[in-house]
Amino acid sequence: MLNYNSPINDQKEYSEIRITEVEPIIKLNLRGKKRDFMTKIGKELSIIPPSDPNSSSGNEKFNILWLSPDEWMLYSNDKSDLNNTNLLEEKLFNEVSKSKIGSITNVSDHWTMLNIKGKNTFDLLSTGCPFNFNDFKNTKGAVAQTLVNHIDVIIHNKDLNNLNLFVRRSFANHLWSWLNDSSRFF
Amino acid sequence: MFLINCPYCGERDQSEFSAGGEAHIIRPKQPTELSDDQWAEFLFMRKNIKGVQLERWNHAHGCRKWFNMVRDTSNDKIHAVYKMGEKPPIK
Repeated sequence: MLNYNSPINDQKEYSEIRITEVEPIIKLNLRGKKRDFMTKIGKELSIIPPSDPNSSSGNEKFNILWLSPDEWMLYSNDKSDLNNTNLLEEKLFNEVSKSKIGSITNVSDHWTMLNIKGKNTFDLLSTGCPFNFNDFKNTKGAVAQTLVNHIDVIIHNKDLNNLNLFVRRSFANHLWSWLNDSSRFF
Repeated sequence: MFLINCPYCGERDQSEFSAGGEAHIIRPKQPTELSDDQWAEFLFMRKNIKGVQLERWNHAHGCRKWFNMVRDTSNDKIHAVYKMGEKPPIK
């Protein structure tokens, strides 16, 4: 991980909505099709990447989100220190990328993670998102890649009215402003 | 606006997808042996019919996978969706 420089570093509270930037956390992009890839990841992290679409798997330390049939994103639950990030990346890189069974890319600085909590969370997102949250909001661990205010996002449903939203760093400020403006209507 | 059933992610809004034009156009095996007209025919000329058409689509704001679709261009009715490499379910 390079010198992480948060684009937001803030938290806001509105009526039944609380938005916080969570940083720094480890985010790794995992790609692979082979069976060995799944086995290696499972062995190293004690989590098997989910094969079901729009789902996730995890333990106390990490979550793995399904992004596509051969692509996943791993992120840590705890705020990380730089040494841990480098060690994990190096370990997985040596096991997976070097043995050519898949690829591991550190995307910690590429994605910004926002945590959105509160009863009005899904009402807020629905004001600028084409995704149907009816089933999603009742499914713990569900994952959706969609658009919010025309910005690409990955949404991970952590718990009831508690989700983690990943947005590209370059769009993070824009989405942050939009979320804050839209939250004032509730 | 209409809904598209992505073969990987499920039903999503059309705004998450981008159209990739007509499907099943076979690339010539030896492009260097073609005349300019034949190459232009492969590269640019499309049927662009009003009615049922086989198309390529990409779930650009979702799983980013390409797939094929049988769509009626006159009313946006989607008859079938199938993965790349599969044969069209209807002709």
